[in-house]
Amino acid sequence: MQALALILSIFSGLLARADYRGEQLYRNCTICHGPDGQGIELQLAPALTNLSEKYLVEQLKKFKSGMRGAHAEDLAGLRMLPMSQTLATEEDMIAVSQYIVSLGSSPIEPTLEGGDPVKGQATYATCLACHGPDGKGNDLLNAPSLINQHDWYQLTQLKNFKSGVRGSNPQDIAGAQMRPMSMLLADEQMMKDVIAYIQTLDQ
Amino acid sequence: MFDFLDRFMPGILEWLLPRASTYAIEIDVLFDVITILVGFWFFLVLGYFFYLIFRYRHREGQRAEYISGETHKQKQAIEIPHYLILICDVAILVPTFMVWYNIKIDIPPPDEEVRVVSQQWAWTFYHAGADGVLGTDDDIVSINELHLKNNTQYTYHLESLDVMHSFSIPVFRLKQDAIPGRVISGHFKPILTGEWDIQCAEMCGVAHGIMGARVFIETEEEHAAWIAANTPKLSEGEMLAAKDENLPEVKEDQNNG
Repeated sequence: MQALALILSIFSGLLARADYRGEQLYRNCTICHGPDGQGIELQLAPALTNLSEKYLVEQLKKFKSGMRGAHAEDLAGLRMLPMSQTLATEEDMIAVSQYIVSLGSSPIEPTLEGGDPVKGQATYATCLACHGPDGKGNDLLNAPSLINQHDWYQLTQLKNFKSGVRGSNPQDIAGAQMRPMSMLLADEQMMKDVIAYIQTLDQ
Repeated sequence: MFDFLDRFMPGILEWLLPRASTYAIEIDVLFDVITILVGFWFFLVLGYFFYLIFRYRHREGQRAEYISGETHKQKQAIEIPHYLILICDVAILVPTFMVWYNIKIDIPPPDEEVRVVSQQWAWTFYHAGADGVLGTDDDIVSINELHLKNNTQYTYHLESLDVMHSFSIPVFRLKQDAIPGRVISGHFKPILTGEWDIQCAEMCGVAHGIMGARVFIETEEEHAAWIAANTPKLSEGEMLAAKDENLPEVKEDQNNG
């Protein structure tokens, strides 16, 4: 019985240490993404808490390898490029991602104007194959959650995908999947419409 | 003049870091002149103070004397070193003005140009490409990598997209602030092939310390090969995107968030 208690205490101690590691590493991120992980527009930093652990780790790996964020016109991505270098190992990336997920997600006030969610719903029919009807994404398809995210960030990313600022690196397979999808959005109004619809999915 | 002076200098800076630009020697000599003159006075004054402390140490039955410093002889103790230091100041000022003129004022006509854009926390370099002209379709854009041809006179055009940065290439002995809203031009001529550090030398935010890049100084053949390998080839999709009417808005939004 004592041995069991000892093993349990060591195990729980290790878990607590892993949690603490994530929290400690996240301190580097708070200046831009905020202590609650909800993102700060002034810093061009998106909300992180709506994203899954797998997606977060994948993005950190992409930033670190230069697959994402290494484009001359990607102002926000170029800020993330050196920050990702502060995570030395995959274990660190997992620890910080687990901590971010543990912060919990909540709806974010919209900032864009002029989007029509009714028109956007029709356009979203293309997106739901990967991102799901509820916008929560699908890890198996490398599709992130879209809900509880800043609308200005989504607009910037759609434009980035369309212009090749994001997703044009030959090694970025998931990005290459999204690029042709972004081409289907003819203009900024269509982007705003679909984002307005995605905002209605927030919970 | 600097080549001549350099023969009498200790050469510690060059031993620590090679000189990879034509004017690196001038900065090094200027540093050496300042270090030697200031160091001479520092150790002389320090030595004299220690001598006085020892010479006039406490002795039984000897009272301290109050000196008001009003006699001519007493004033000379201040005046003579003062004039000597003024002479040393002039000895520093003359090479300082010469170096300033050579590096900042007298910009030679360039063989090549390069655009340097700094932002939190990365460097973007726009190389002129095969046609040697900046701002054309064959410009080669690279992140955190500056590729230069050895023995070629460059003019750089430095910009900042957000806050103040400082473009520092230690092997060139180059350090120039980048100020948002301004394009600051300067020059350098690499004289040593190799791969060296570029760093930001102005506090610019949380990742300032890791805002580094690399400069690659290549021979003419290596540089030509690099240009051939990296000249952008516009695909059909990219040409369509380039024609997209929203592109200027995309750029504007990039800056505005």
